[in-house]
Amino acid sequence: MIRLINVSKTYPNGVRALRDITLRIKKGEFLFLVGPSGAGKSTLIRLLFREEKPTYGHLLISGKNINRLRKSQIPILRRNMGVVFQDFKLLEDRTAFENVSFAMEVLEYSRKEINERVPHILKLVGLEDRQDYYPTQLSGGEQQRVAIARAIVNRPMILVADEPTGNLDPDTSKGIYDLLMDINRGGTTVIMATHEWDLVNRTSLRVVALDKGQLVRDGEKVLFAHEG
Amino acid sequence: MPMKVRTTGYFFRQAFKSILRNFWMSVASVATVAICLFILGSFTLLIANTNYIAHKVESDVEIAVFTMVDATEKEVESVGERLEGIDHVSSIEFISKEKGLQQLNKKFGKEHDLLKALDGNNPLPDYYLVKAKEPDKVPVIVQETEAMPYVEKVNYGQGIVEPLFKIANWIRVGGAVTVILLAVCTVFLIAVTVRLTIFARRREINIMKFVGATNWFIRWPFFIEGLFLGLMGSAAACLVLYFSYNFLADKIILTFAFLPILKDAAVIKRMSLIVLGGGPLVGALGSMLSVHRFLQV
Repeated sequence: MIRLINVSKTYPNGVRALRDITLRIKKGEFLFLVGPSGAGKSTLIRLLFREEKPTYGHLLISGKNINRLRKSQIPILRRNMGVVFQDFKLLEDRTAFENVSFAMEVLEYSRKEINERVPHILKLVGLEDRQDYYPTQLSGGEQQRVAIARAIVNRPMILVADEPTGNLDPDTSKGIYDLLMDINRGGTTVIMATHEWDLVNRTSLRVVALDKGQLVRDGEKVLFAHEG
Repeated sequence: MPMKVRTTGYFFRQAFKSILRNFWMSVASVATVAICLFILGSFTLLIANTNYIAHKVESDVEIAVFTMVDATEKEVESVGERLEGIDHVSSIEFISKEKGLQQLNKKFGKEHDLLKALDGNNPLPDYYLVKAKEPDKVPVIVQETEAMPYVEKVNYGQGIVEPLFKIANWIRVGGAVTVILLAVCTVFLIAVTVRLTIFARRREINIMKFVGATNWFIRWPFFIEGLFLGLMGSAAACLVLYFSYNFLADKIILTFAFLPILKDAAVIKRMSLIVLGGGPLVGALGSMLSVHRFLQV
């Protein structure tokens, strides 16, 4: 599904965010991406949805080399990928329903499709009674659920979450994590970046750790010694 | 970029929402477009009229062919015959030295007798007044007559026509420079307005990008906004020009009856087309500038 081959990323200001990363993510997998801040997690995620291009190496998604993607093909890549951010990125002047339906509107779905699909997805994330609430009227956890609903409403193959629980208390975080697990059980590949070790230590799922731009752990395999 | 009807509706809604959100900025853009195009239109009309006047004057031009003072009657007649043989001549009038003197006397006043003052010698030559069929044939006729024997000098309206054309040219150059400068200002003002919209909607645009909206889908509302601002400006300019020109033309025709002023619909139509086309063009350019710079999709 996703393959990184010797990927490095150096920003124009000289910061080496990623160094020689080789990684393979299978279809339907749930993967934790961990590491202290500045380790390169966000850069890796930005590479995945082609916000940035690798400086060296190759990144393949569904067999397609992302480096060679033409500008007009980027939207098509992104339609197959849902993205969730730490700060939710919801539109304050729209209700939960409208925030989710926005993602379908801009992809030119019909009203009918939107009116069928959005309530279904909101129910899936547990917000069926919050449809007409504005983001400011929702708790942090509920806002993140709206954001997740928006990310999956167009049925992406891959869901990428960059610190989705970063602003939430532990209980709420657990709820979000469980929701992502549910989505993964539906067949979606989920990549979740986090620095919450509690969450990661309790799981038996694959954990990829980055430190200073290098891959230091993949699964049970510790590649380099790292300080927690 | 195929566009569905539903989507088109969405684009227009977005564009009008932005115009209302930045209402005063939009008003300012429309006003500058209008001023710029008003000046463009005024220059177009001014140039058209100057050209028209110049042509009008030119077509009234008579060519005066003076024979040599010491030419005999026969020789003078031969000049007349030759003149009749030239192409593009519409009429020839012979003015004898006696008649010429009479005309001079008239100019100086009733009681004046130039002949007396000149001791009975008439110093004037005989001459022919030649009219050309088309004004642009005047130089050809002049050239031919100048080469004829017994012809002393050929005069025509170069003193009036050439300055008029020069004025028309200056107006054209000055108009072009003014219009270009104003157009550049307008493009930038529209760019700023569209940029405000992009800034106000940056969160939305960002979300559109990462859910996979196409670049054109994101850009269209901004183009429509720019186009619409331009169109509004040109419509305003057109209306003001139309009424003020008609008003002014009527005034001028009443007060300066001798000045030929263009009052036919074709000229006003051509001016309107230039003005109406200019607005959307400037608007599209302005939004393209901002979309290109601030909408890195």
